[in-house]
Amino acid sequence: MRRNWWKALGVLLLLYVVLIGLRTPLAPTIVHVDTDRITPGPVRFIAQGYGTAFSTEQPPMVWLENSGQRLCAAEVTVLDPLRIRVELEIPEGFRSELSHLHVLDTRAGQSMVLHEAFWTGGRGSGIQEATCPATAFSPSAAFTFPNRAILNETIRNLFFHVPMWFTMMLLMTISVVHSVRALGAGGLRHDVAAVNAVRVGLVFAALGLVTGMVWARATWGTWWTSDPQLNGAATVTLIYLAYLVLRGSVADPGRRARLAAVYNLFAFALMLVFFMVLPRLSDSLHPGKGGNPAFSTYDLDDHLRLVFYPAVLGWMLLGTWMFNLRLRAARLSESRP
Amino acid sequence: MKLLRSLCSIPAALLAGGTFAQSQTPDWLQETLFHSGKINTVVAVVALVLVGLAIWMAAFDRRLTKLEKRNGQQTTDQ
Repeated sequence: MRRNWWKALGVLLLLYVVLIGLRTPLAPTIVHVDTDRITPGPVRFIAQGYGTAFSTEQPPMVWLENSGQRLCAAEVTVLDPLRIRVELEIPEGFRSELSHLHVLDTRAGQSMVLHEAFWTGGRGSGIQEATCPATAFSPSAAFTFPNRAILNETIRNLFFHVPMWFTMMLLMTISVVHSVRALGAGGLRHDVAAVNAVRVGLVFAALGLVTGMVWARATWGTWWTSDPQLNGAATVTLIYLAYLVLRGSVADPGRRARLAAVYNLFAFALMLVFFMVLPRLSDSLHPGKGGNPAFSTYDLDDHLRLVFYPAVLGWMLLGTWMFNLRLRAARLSESRP
Repeated sequence: MKLLRSLCSIPAALLAGGTFAQSQTPDWLQETLFHSGKINTVVAVVALVLVGLAIWMAAFDRRLTKLEKRNGQQTTDQ
């Protein structure tokens, strides 16, 4: 048991990830308004919240923001905890073509913004700013994940899709280390380790591809798109499949070990190029690409990090365990009884 | 200028109306993947990962069984 502590740690981390990652609510936000163009004059619209707790006792404060200028709502009616009806008197002179909708629920401690909620014409010289009544606001301390437009609940896939690729990269790194050692003395033993690491790595690559496809359908609207990150991932998967085919095509164990090891060095270098270099040189739909490092403060907030890092470690430990099992079985099958 | 304005209104309309109601989504996806804040997308992703791992476990189980047979071992948990 003393030598197996890391396997238990992996399972415990994944249990934590499933429990906290799936049960933490999203931060309340406004997801929809039933009008998308507003013109000068009286305007009435219904704003749909997600996870909000609007109360008739104390309706939230609502205002429009247009290039820094505020326009307060004339009347806010709470229809139910998720919906409010807002009435506004729109003046002439909006400067910007898009206005943001702000909703401040002081009772629940929730501050929400729907960015670019309305098209407002724009190109005016500015509006007469009405002063909104000042209210004391203390934000709710609830532990939530961000609710981003389009992503919504799928932000949780961060704990399941991304670590698949991290685990795959770890296994391919283990494999290439064994391949380097396979070129030296006692190569056959390391060759077996290298090929088994690639086989388990490909399981995680396959899972990364299918989970990514489902996520893409729900956010980008298509199962696959010709994107540097996606095509790179598919290419790398094919390169490693070719490694298995190449290795399987040589009968002599010594030659097979050397050929597979040399090919694996090239495969590893190509993986780094396709994953880390090429997507950052061109624009990509995929987060963390198009010139940006993946771990910017913009991509990940602190609450997500509390689950994401354990998720990466947990999946990596599970992948290493799978590799460990497969290697032991392979060694067993080689030793003739 | 008119063209620019009308072009600007397209993303605005999409942003305002498109967060939950994806217009080009077929019904079966609308009722499954996109339902209640797209939570079912997460369910599908977690299920796929578990199915993938289960397939791996089954394949590994078969490999071990073959090894055991070859080595002439008797397993107690058949």
